[in-house]
Amino acid sequence: MGLVCPLIGSFLVLRRTVFLGLTLPEIAAAGVSFTLWLQQTGVLPQLGQGERGIGMIGSLAFTFLGMGLLGYLEQRGKGLAEGRLAAAYALAGGLTILFMVFNPAGQIEVLNLLKGEVIALSQGELRLLVTVFGLVLLAMLIFRREFLLTSFDRDLAFLLKGRQVIWDVLLYLLAGLIIAFGVIMAGPLLIFGFLVLPALAARPLVNRMSSFLAVSAALGLVMAFFGFYTSVRVDLPLGPTDVTLGCCLIFLAYGFRRISTKTFAAVLLMACILAPIAGCSTGTPAVPVPEAKSIRSESIWLAKVKNSTGLPLLLPSNNPLRSLGEMAGKISSDYRQSVMDLLRESLRQELEQKGYSIRLPEETDKRFPPLPADGKSAARVASEGKLSGLIFVSEIWRWEGESQKFVRVLVDFKIIRIDDGAVVWQRRVQRAVPTPSAPYLGQAYMDAVKIVAHDLFA
Amino acid sequence: MIKSERDVDPIKRARERGSLEESLPLVSLQHVNLGYDSEPVVRDVSLAIYPSSLIGLAGPNGSGKTTLFRTILGLLSPLGGTLSRSCPLSNFGYVPQSAALDPQFPLSASEVVEMGAYGRVRSYQFLPLREKKRIGEVLDQVGIRHLMGKSFFACSGGQKQRILIARALMVNPKIMILDEPLSGVDEESRRSITGLLHKLTREKGLAVFFSSHDLEMVQRVADSIVRVDKGRIWLEERKARLQP
Repeated sequence: MGLVCPLIGSFLVLRRTVFLGLTLPEIAAAGVSFTLWLQQTGVLPQLGQGERGIGMIGSLAFTFLGMGLLGYLEQRGKGLAEGRLAAAYALAGGLTILFMVFNPAGQIEVLNLLKGEVIALSQGELRLLVTVFGLVLLAMLIFRREFLLTSFDRDLAFLLKGRQVIWDVLLYLLAGLIIAFGVIMAGPLLIFGFLVLPALAARPLVNRMSSFLAVSAALGLVMAFFGFYTSVRVDLPLGPTDVTLGCCLIFLAYGFRRISTKTFAAVLLMACILAPIAGCSTGTPAVPVPEAKSIRSESIWLAKVKNSTGLPLLLPSNNPLRSLGEMAGKISSDYRQSVMDLLRESLRQELEQKGYSIRLPEETDKRFPPLPADGKSAARVASEGKLSGLIFVSEIWRWEGESQKFVRVLVDFKIIRIDDGAVVWQRRVQRAVPTPSAPYLGQAYMDAVKIVAHDLFA
Repeated sequence: MIKSERDVDPIKRARERGSLEESLPLVSLQHVNLGYDSEPVVRDVSLAIYPSSLIGLAGPNGSGKTTLFRTILGLLSPLGGTLSRSCPLSNFGYVPQSAALDPQFPLSASEVVEMGAYGRVRSYQFLPLREKKRIGEVLDQVGIRHLMGKSFFACSGGQKQRILIARALMVNPKIMILDEPLSGVDEESRRSITGLLHKLTREKGLAVFFSSHDLEMVQRVADSIVRVDKGRIWLEERKARLQP
């Protein structure tokens, strides 16, 4: 995506049709929202390809219909081209929201699709994406001369190659393809960012068309790589991270323009060498929970997991085991398991395997509250509760299921000495936990809990 | 050489000259009306362009000079009359006004000239070595080989015109059509360009048809002068050409 979108985007920028790169992804998004609404109302059948499959059909259909309509209006030549694009953008944005309002049951799914989480793509979807973008790349390489000539000097293009409308159609067809597929896979914001920002950043740096295309594609790759890396490391959404990085590249490019080419080349080379090194060396390896023997304590208090997300984090009720448990009288009908319960149970099992003897604070007093991850506060509360020795505290800051494909988590874990509040061991887990085989969100939460606990002790 | 309406007769001219190939007009217009959207700009145009002729088209801005060129190049359809060409459009070297090209494009001089070869190179091919050599040759011909790697839009007006002429030469043309090639260029470049146009007609046998709003300059450069004004077009009496 980072390689191919900038090649198409370069021509959109040079043809001064940047707004098309903004409007078409929005039209594609309206298509996604529309088809999911139709599916929800039963007009469209369930195709067995998931929401992304049906969304892709809507994205493709709306993109090409939108392009056709804009092309027809362009041919008629009435009104301002920018005005038409602006109106189309506003209409598409409005329709996307309206279709979502009509489809309250699928609102979250639509939002998730439009957010475009690349890491949620299945292998099949990834293969499709690579195939489509690969074909577009091939076409761009083969027909680069025709696209350049048609874009730069239409009169000469006519004299040498005949009617140039075919090259216009082909270029916009390729743009439509990557936009339609890209929007459903990565979201409209990311696609627009990849289309336009690398080309805008490359423009002040080069004076040759061949260099312009090469630098645009290279900056697209830089944007994709560092954007993805930052997004994962700092746990930020990919689209906004990439777009922010792309805008920074534009400012940097105009800054570099003031220095000589040799200095710029040297800086670029240094950056290319240092970036992978920095990438490889970032972060000291995570320290697992120490063995019980190594901290001379076999007994540890396992506090309730504190939930600081502001959300109840109860497991969705579509767990068939729960109804079986209720029927067997083992679970009361008003009890519902939460992520905190699951996590604590997993931690207990893992700690026992490390040789700890687990004690639960509520055994001394049933009213014992979950403890915060702050060492001093946790030690104070534990002392007031007449506990001594070590206590294992966990605090969930974030627990979001984007879809059943992965769960974003941010959890702090600490072992605290109660006497002085000293932190013996600590670890923050902040990542998107993939749960590809989970059939529903509740299962995704359960899988994520197991993965987090396992990683903590591995 | 341009002919007035009454003596546009290619066969007769061929007999007179004795060589059919040399004397067939490259372009012939008979009673052609030119314009946009059925609205004639210039009426009843009859002229013929022969090889080795240097023709100047003079007229004020907005008189229809570019419309005539665009019709000859097939970019506009004639509103009436007969237009015939004896060579394919790919043999037409067209030099547009450099101001009409978008400075947004990052193009070097050599990349602009290379475009002239695009008609001969297949899409999937790399540019053949002989075409790369030819880029150097045509830039040599217009005297600016040293500008090969320079940004096209960073060049002066005269340099840009010469680069566009080199691009037209890259096509291997039989006829060259130049839209205001001498406007916005300094005196030295003007001399160089007019010298080049003479050389192309005399030595290479090309037909050159150029336009200008400066009648005096056209009279100084061209062998034949076509005047266009107020929707009419006529052949002006040939005058003794001044040295460029």
